Amino acid sequence: MAIALEANNINKYFMTPEKFHALKGISFKINQGEFVSITGKSGCGKSTMLYILSTMDTDYEGSLQLNNQTITGQKQNHLAAFRNEHIGFIFQFHYLLPDFSCLKNVMIPALRLGRLSREEIEHNAYEKLKLLDVGGQALKAASRISGGQQQRVAIARALINEPSIIMGDEPTGNLDSRNTAVVFDMFRKLASGYNKTIIAVTHDNDFAHKSDRIIEMMDGKIIAQ
Amino acid sequence: MKIGINTEIAFTYLVSRRKQTIVAALGVTFGISMFIFMNALITGTNEYSEDTMLNTTPHIRLYHDNELSNGRMLNRFAGNKTINLISNPQLVPGDNRIVNPDAVTSLLKQRNDVTALSQQVSANVIYSNSSVQENGNIFGVNILEQNKMFDIASTIMAGSLKSLSENANAIIIGAGLAQRLNLSKGDYIKVTASNGASKSLQVVGIFKTTIKSIDNTKTYCNIPIVQQLLQKDRAYITDIYINVKDYYNAPAIGKSIEQLTGYTAEAWQSSNEQSLAGKKIRDIIANSVVITILIVAGFGIYNILNMVIYEKIKEIAILKATGFQGAHVVGIFIRQAMLIGFIGAMAGLAFGWLISWTVSKMYIGLGNVTYLPIAFHVKHYIQGGLFGMATAFFAGYIPAVKASKVDPVQIIRG
Ligand SMILES: Nc1ncnc2c1ncn2[C@@H]1O[C@H](COP(=O)(O)OP(=O)(O)OP(=O)(O)O)[C@@H](O)[C@H]1O
Ligand SMILES: [Mg+2]
Repeated sequence: MAIALEANNINKYFMTPEKFHALKGISFKINQGEFVSITGKSGCGKSTMLYILSTMDTDYEGSLQLNNQTITGQKQNHLAAFRNEHIGFIFQFHYLLPDFSCLKNVMIPALRLGRLSREEIEHNAYEKLKLLDVGGQALKAASRISGGQQQRVAIARALINEPSIIMGDEPTGNLDSRNTAVVFDMFRKLASGYNKTIIAVTHDNDFAHKSDRIIEMMDGKIIAQ
Repeated sequence: MKIGINTEIAFTYLVSRRKQTIVAALGVTFGISMFIFMNALITGTNEYSEDTMLNTTPHIRLYHDNELSNGRMLNRFAGNKTINLISNPQLVPGDNRIVNPDAVTSLLKQRNDVTALSQQVSANVIYSNSSVQENGNIFGVNILEQNKMFDIASTIMAGSLKSLSENANAIIIGAGLAQRLNLSKGDYIKVTASNGASKSLQVVGIFKTTIKSIDNTKTYCNIPIVQQLLQKDRAYITDIYINVKDYYNAPAIGKSIEQLTGYTAEAWQSSNEQSLAGKKIRDIIANSVVITILIVAGFGIYNILNMVIYEKIKEIAILKATGFQGAHVVGIFIRQAMLIGFIGAMAGLAFGWLISWTVSKMYIGLGNVTYLPIAFHVKHYIQGGLFGMATAFFAGYIPAVKASKVDPVQIIRG
């Protein structure tokens, strides 16, 4: 089976306010099409690790490979292009662009990629929003919808370029049980049906146990996988 | 498509902060309208003073200058057996005549950079009517030829140029002289040269250039009159006035005419250095004012963009997280600056035109300046637009580069 992600002895230090060893020798592999949950207490380093895995944070020791490409040591522009095409990231605090409509927010990464025409992108964006039950909010400004709706728009944005790896930092943290189920089913289908790799940080035990694998962290280390 | 999304984001940011956009654009508007107005005024003034100069000075004046004595005659007399040196050579006052002026004129006519030629001979004279006397210069000219150069016809108040060419003993005088000697058309005026020769001439025309020194002293008559006053022959011509196509190039053309004819050619620029210095000073003043204003406008754009970037730093981080590269972020903010510059510059061009037009209608009425001389040149408007955009570009570049260096993780972590 092809490997989607391989982390090798990753160490991360924060220098301010004092030197702090946030990730301590993290190593693991994730296969393509796997749906993995990452759990652990607040402050154990889940977000920190996800930022490294998503190529945004380049300030670490160790090595990282995604889709059999070495990520460690690549230039920022190369990494940005890689993220645009291969990674969908759902932030812990969803982060939409408030000046744009929900639809535009979803479309922007695809417009950047420029693989499809504007009409096709708009159509796809609508479809994604409808799947997540926020089709009705498409033309509202992103700052004028509820937190849960914002989170679902952010998920739609992460999926718009059909990335091979989807990473979520508590992607369902703001959702009720019905919408959590919708998102879970969506991830399930993407993993099993379309061979996408899902890596989701979650505090939701139910969610974690229904996924393929749980990686449990504590104090910057993996204690079970 | 790639251009599309950057422009779209830039435009959305502009529209969502309408007030700041307008303030920043107004800075550019002010700068560009000043640029247009200053240029219109300065160019108008320059053109006006150039016109004034060229109304009395030909592009090139060809004359026979006094020569420094040389060893040519000595060599001919003493031969080559000795080396002949003249210590302390002196200027030899010559006849100042142009030998065979018609040949010189027809030689010059063959050049295709020459547009008009006029032979002339002038003399210092005393004008008198009964017992009142005035000093002045009388110019013996072919009035119709000279009119092609200086448009004398447009300054004629009474009589006509044609009657001078038809009447051998006629004279055209300035309005100032006519008033001082109480002369009107049809009256006779006595003209006396320094050698005592005198003539009585009939006034057939009166001109008014509004330049006092000319209206009070200058008169035109036919060439033979001056030759007779100077007691010279019919071939005595001292000056050939030459107008050329490209009069900014007059010094160079003058040089080549000097080589062609052997006489001295004086370009209008060298006889009007004073005025040209004035032009240079005006240009410098205008440019420094305009540059100052544009710099201020540039700082306006710089400030606004810095503010936008400070406010949008989270969104920049998100854009970078979702795959925007540094150059794309630069592109977004440069476009924003250029849009501000474009809006501001367009408004500035319109406003600048309006100011220029309004001022050109202001009555001054001093001497020969009735309305402020204002020039309307397309060139200035193109330059103004380009300057506005360039200012916006440079003002936007620094903040844009700063924005492109945002580290997404640092911002997203908070
Ligand atoms: N910018 C930073 N500077 C210094 N220390 C940091 C920084 N960001 C995080 N940390 C520390 O690193 C550790 C891991 O933080 P991280 O955000 O990864 O936790 P987490 O597992 O995502 O927690 P949560 O479940 O609450 O989101 C924490 O102890 C935190 O204090
Ligand atoms: Mg976290």
